[in-house]
Amino acid sequence: MRPESEDRHLLGLVWGAIAVAIILALTACNPTLTVESPAPPGRTARVDEVRGFWGLQSYRMEVTAGVAVAMTCEQARPCEHMKLISDNPEIAEVRPASLSLLKASAATYTTYHDQQTAAALVVIGKHPGKTTIRVTAEEGHREIAVEVVAAPQTAAR
Amino acid sequence: MHQATLMGQCAADDAACSRRHPVAPIAIGARFHPEVEAEIAGTTVPNLRLESAAPDILAVDGDALVAKQAGASAVLISTDDGSVVDFIHVWAAPITRISLARRDGDRLSGAVGLAIGEDLTIAPALWNGAQKLTGDADLAWTSSNPNAIEILRDGSTDRRRLRARAPGKTTLTVAFGDEKTTLDVEVVP
Repeated sequence: MRPESEDRHLLGLVWGAIAVAIILALTACNPTLTVESPAPPGRTARVDEVRGFWGLQSYRMEVTAGVAVAMTCEQARPCEHMKLISDNPEIAEVRPASLSLLKASAATYTTYHDQQTAAALVVIGKHPGKTTIRVTAEEGHREIAVEVVAAPQTAAR
Repeated sequence: MHQATLMGQCAADDAACSRRHPVAPIAIGARFHPEVEAEIAGTTVPNLRLESAAPDILAVDGDALVAKQAGASAVLISTDDGSVVDFIHVWAAPITRISLARRDGDRLSGAVGLAIGEDLTIAPALWNGAQKLTGDADLAWTSSNPNAIEILRDGSTDRRRLRARAPGKTTLTVAFGDEKTTLDVEVVP
């Protein structure tokens, strides 16, 4: 017979493994965002992944005021029932977009070839500052920490 | 996104039309009247409207884009329910030079001779350095000798028609803010 402390230790390891599995599953289930438009000359429209120990955590975006960035949302297939919220639309606005594109879904055991209309969004830098954009879909959610930077000063002539 | 873009409203045979250049910066103080051209897969074009990301740089005023100050702004092309079909970044720049051309695009400089009764249609172009600007600016047209030539409107916002009236010399001045250009005109019998 094992001592009670050993049982407790084993139980702790099991719960730890379950917690890791849940975190990994939750992380893996969240959609990914892909930039679909370039920045204009001398302006910024950059999106980077924020990765942690468990992989992709969120995104950070730097965009110049007055610049728009198109992105798509996917998790093996285009995001379904996508909802978009900006914490401060005065700093960065987010809008649904229509790319009129079909994107291939990843093959599963039920579907081999499948296509769906791309789920797209446009982020618009309005005024310098920081805010968060929240993308929610059936596939999960993602946050984008947005920093809107001022446009470079243009010479009067 | 490549579904829609903005084109200038110009007649096909109007070589001098400055509104022909939708990819050029809009001159500050000028109005650009765009036409939205769209090709969306699987559908005719829905009703589309324009919005500016930075109205302090580029404002949407009715059917026109109005350049307010130097810089760039995304112009969103959206459906009535706000779904963005496309966007284009449009630049605004100050005018540093005005040039004059005949309607067929031939540049005018120095002096021009006209016979009495002869007409000359002049189209101005706005520049920032070597960059041609687009948009309709409210230019001021004046003649130092109004007896020699008459300055007539021809229905276009930017062009003018000169009609030689009486023998003599005059200097035509076309100005916008601090920028101006001149053309010497001699009317002969």
